[in-house]
Formats: sequence, structure tokens, C-alpha cells
Amino acid sequence: MEIFSQGMQALIDGLLTGGVYAMIGAGLSLIFGVMRIINFGHGDFVVLGMYSAFFAATALHMDPYLSILVVAPLAYLLGFAVHRLILSRLLGASEQSTKLASLGIGLVVSNAILLGFGTQPQTVDTTYSTSVWVMQVGTLELRFSVIRVVAMVITAALIFLLNRMLFTSEIGKAIRATGQNRLGAELQGVDTRRIYAVIFGIGTVLAATAGVLLLPLLSATPTMGTIFTNKAFVITILGGLGSMPGAIIGGLILGVVESLGSSIFPLIPFLNNHFGSNYRDAYGLIIFLLVLLLKPEGLFGRTVKRV
Amino acid sequence: MKSRSPVLNPPSEGKSARWSPYFTLILVVALLACYPLLVPVLTQVSFLQGVNLNFGITTLILAGLALSWDILGGWTGQNSLGHAALVAVGAYSVTLLAEHGVAPWYGTLIGMGIAGLLAWGWGSMTFRLRGSYFTLSSIAVAEILRLVALNESWLTGGAEGKFMADLPKLFGTFDLFDRKVEFYVALGFVTLVLLFLHWLKSAKLGFYFRAVREDEDGAMALGVNPAKAKSTAFILSAVFTAMGGAIYALYLQALEPDNLMLVAFSIQIALLCIIGGRGTLYGGLVGAILLGVPSEIFRAQLQEANLLVYGILIVLVILYLPKGVMGTLEHWWYRKNHPLEKGGK
Repeated sequence: MEIFSQGMQALIDGLLTGGVYAMIGAGLSLIFGVMRIINFGHGDFVVLGMYSAFFAATALHMDPYLSILVVAPLAYLLGFAVHRLILSRLLGASEQSTKLASLGIGLVVSNAILLGFGTQPQTVDTTYSTSVWVMQVGTLELRFSVIRVVAMVITAALIFLLNRMLFTSEIGKAIRATGQNRLGAELQGVDTRRIYAVIFGIGTVLAATAGVLLLPLLSATPTMGTIFTNKAFVITILGGLGSMPGAIIGGLILGVVESLGSSIFPLIPFLNNHFGSNYRDAYGLIIFLLVLLLKPEGLFGRTVKRV
Repeated sequence: MKSRSPVLNPPSEGKSARWSPYFTLILVVALLACYPLLVPVLTQVSFLQGVNLNFGITTLILAGLALSWDILGGWTGQNSLGHAALVAVGAYSVTLLAEHGVAPWYGTLIGMGIAGLLAWGWGSMTFRLRGSYFTLSSIAVAEILRLVALNESWLTGGAEGKFMADLPKLFGTFDLFDRKVEFYVALGFVTLVLLFLHWLKSAKLGFYFRAVREDEDGAMALGVNPAKAKSTAFILSAVFTAMGGAIYALYLQALEPDNLMLVAFSIQIALLCIIGGRGTLYGGLVGAILLGVPSEIFRAQLQEANLLVYGILIVLVILYLPKGVMGTLEHWWYRKNHPLEKGGK
């Protein structure tokens, strides 16, 4: 029975964290879907968001969630500028070049944070950090941590807004057209270079906002960007590269798998407390490898070129 | 792979043309071998304080690792960002086996074998797919191995790592913990990889690799199996990388997963080669020297953030020297000698 109640609790925590992961994955997936670039610096933008919120909370005494209103526009400008200054010059270059350039940008971001804030882990305490809502279901007592629920709600709102933008607005139409066929979109008068910069900006906003939402949950270190980049890869491969609904479902699955893996495995007597939360980051990666092995097109993706 | 493809046969060159690259190699190695003699002079210059014998050893080991990375990354165009895991395989093999009294050269060989097997399994899993899937998987595999090394302390010593105990002497006389001996061991490693790359340049295998890099469909039409070619390159690269890892462990005398197995270290290895020039013979070596000196000079200011230099340089190189330093020089040299041809190499 302990396994069942722990499992339900892990499921809830996992779904709530998974929402934030979904946002990280959605950013990567959007950038890949439209620009055909895998952004290897995506996780570093998440960390940048974390540290911006940390700076806002400690130096400006701003509530982490409130700082989204400042961080998101700045992240958009940063993403837009990075594309204009660096990635737009590589439009004709090989896939390798853009991949490596994004890697370099990520290195600059993470090491600049390191220079500014040092290596020690940083946390932010809010008055509601530890508060939970408790729900009684029969004998089961389910706990919803407030920060996770708030993160989930903000994520859902942002993804809803993004979806509305993509499917109803003029620029959303232009973005989708660019993603489907760049030349075709250009023939219809779409400035695809600008669309690319906008998309990179939006992707950066999603990453940075996810970082802000994660800050009350995790302690931030400058080099943890690769962990988030990995998570974003897992999510997008799971859902299929370039698919937004795939990214959302992939994010939820990753959250649940990590949460279940780290709370259920230690309870199985045979495992002797092995494979607990120490391996939290590995569960997603193992799933990632399994998906690559068995169904590389993901759950919703397009077909994959095989050799 | 077909062995007798009329198109893929390397063009026959004169005997002198086939041997002259080896003269360059001998010259380069001889120059590098003089480095320990230069150290007392270099350390006289104030801002070159850090450029000592240890700097030479790490630069050579990093150069050898970058050159090993090149066998896969430069020749078949598959960017691995998980090579640190293979370095760790070599390093852990030699250290853990030395604990049980196995001599380091056997430990190194065993590590190379394990790395080769790992690369074989890993490659046969991911090289079926095109695009960035291999790069993504390389990060994933390396991260999983790092977590295993961190958590399974009964095997690896966990986060504290392991220390190297006494070692038997090399050829009965040379102490492997002596810095000068280590320098020449590292130089031997670099020479070995360079020799292999020289061989690859004129061997059919190298032509298969390059055909896959330039155009997988075209390579297939010529009878090359891209998956098999990439897998072969990866195994060779892994074996050399593990050898470098074993030598690195002998130099460090201590294993720490958080130094040895970070994705940042994999990226560092790859960037040395990319900045030096992928697919060129000396790219990795040139990259290691070009990047090593400034990051050694800025080390005091940047401390842990020394990858900042790498990040800025990689963006600049991708924008302005997409072929890397050596690639650009080679291209320039080719254009100078063949002024009428368009394009070039």
C-alpha cells in the first residue's frame, strides 16, 4: 500500500514538474520545427532565466513569479539579437555549423553566469515555498505543492497563448508557413529571416520562463544547463522532433518517469535502495535511448531518414 | 564494404608524394620533443608562468584526444559530444586494474578494448539514423555513464574517485609518475594518432569515411555502407580516446567523475578539433596549442569559467573560419598553387 500511495504522490509531482519540462521542450521543438536547428544552448537559457529571477529576488526583492514580466521580454530581445548577430549569418551553412554555433552560444551564456555568480548553488526562499494543498481521497492523502501548481498554471497559460498566436494571428500563419516551406513562404512575401529571429526569441522566452518557474523548486548552479538541454532533447525525441503537442506530452511523460523512478525504485525490496533519486536525471536519458532504438520518429514526429 | 570500387580507389601518387607527409610528421614530433628544454626559458616571461611542463603534458593529451575525436568527427562528419565517457573508460580501467596489481599497459589495452566494444554497441544503435541523432545520443550515453560513476562507489569510488597507487616502472627504468617521462608518453600517444591519421589519408578506409561525410546517398551509390563506415570510424576513435584516457589518468593520478566525465570536457575535446580544423591532419594539435595558451594565461582571471574563451572562439570560428585554422590554411595553400581551379579542396 505504501508503494501505491507513494506512487500516486509521485505521479502528481511528476505531472506538475512535467508541465515545466514541457515548456522547455516546446521551445526547443518550436525552434527545430521552424528553423531546423537543434539548439544545443537551450538549457543554458533555462539557467539564465533561473539566475535572472535569482538576481531579481535577491538584489531587487522581486517575487520570482513577478519577475517573469521582466525576464520574458528581455529573453525575447536576447534571443532575437543572438539570431540576428550570429545564427542568421549561418542560414546557408551546414547543419553542423548552426549546431556548433548554438553550442558555443550556450557555453558563453553558462560561463558568463559562472563569472558573475560563482559556482556555489543558489536558492530562493519565498513565503510559499513549502506550502502545500492537501487533498483527501478515501484513505489517500495527496499533497499538491503550491509552487508546482503555480508553475503548471503559468506553463499552461503560456502554451495556450503561444498556440493561439500560431493558429490565429497573421504572424503565426507566417511562422507555420516558414516551417513548412521556407521558399514558398518567401514567395508569398514573408520575411523569413525575421520569422526565424522571432522564433528564436520565442524559444528563448520559453526556456527562460521555465527557468524562472524552476528556481523555487531547485537550487541553481551555472553549469546545470546541460541537464536541461538533455531534458529538452528527451522531450522532443519522445514527442517527435518539431511537434508541439508531442513536446507537451513528452514533457509530462518525462516528469512522471523521473518522479516515479526516484520514489518507487528504492521501495522495491530487491533493489536494496538502489536507483533512487540519485539516478533521477538518468531515467529520462534511458527512455531517450530506448525511443531512439525502437521508435526514432517519436510519438508525433515526422518520418526519420534512415541509412 | 566493397573493396574494389573503381571510383573510390585512391588516386595513385608518386612515391615521394606518398612519403613526404611523414617528413612533416617527424619534423613536428621532433619540435614538440624539444619543449621540455624550452620550459626554463618560457617560465622567465611573467605572463607565461603557467606554460610549464604540466601545461605541455595536458596540451599534448588534449591534442591526442582531439585528434582521436577527429577520426569520427572530422572524417565522417558525426559530431560526438560524449567523448569524455570514452576517456573515462580508459582512465577508470587503468586505475581500477592497477589497484588489483595489473600493469598499466595491460590496463590500457583492456580499457581500449572496452571502449571499442562500447562504441560498437552504441554505434550500431544510433548510426542507422541520419541527422543529429548520434550527437544527441552521445550526450545521453555520456551522462548516464557519469551518473553510474558517481553513484556506484563500490566500483568507481563515487564522487571522491580513486587515487593511483604505485606503478611498475616503464621498461624497468622510467618512473611513470615522473613529469618528463609522462611528457614523452603523451608525445608518443599524439604521434601514434597522427601516424594513424596519415595512414587514413591515403587508405581506402579514409576515402570511405570522407565519402560518407560529403554525401551519404552518393557514398551508398558507390557501394559504401554509411552506417558501417561511421561505426568503424567510431570504434577506431573510441579505442584511441581510451588510450588517451589511460595516459591522462597516469598524469592526474586521481579520478573524479566531476572533472573527467562532464559534458563540458567532451565539448572541450570537440572544440579543440573544430577550431583547429576538422578533417585536417594536424587540426587537433594546432587547436590544442592555440586554445591552451590563452586559457592558461587567463586561468587566474576566469577560474572555472575558462570555457568562456572556447565559447567565444567557437562562435567566431564558425562565423569567420568555418574550416578551422588548418582547413583555411590548407584551402589558401591549395588556391595559391592551383589558381585556375574554382573551389578547391
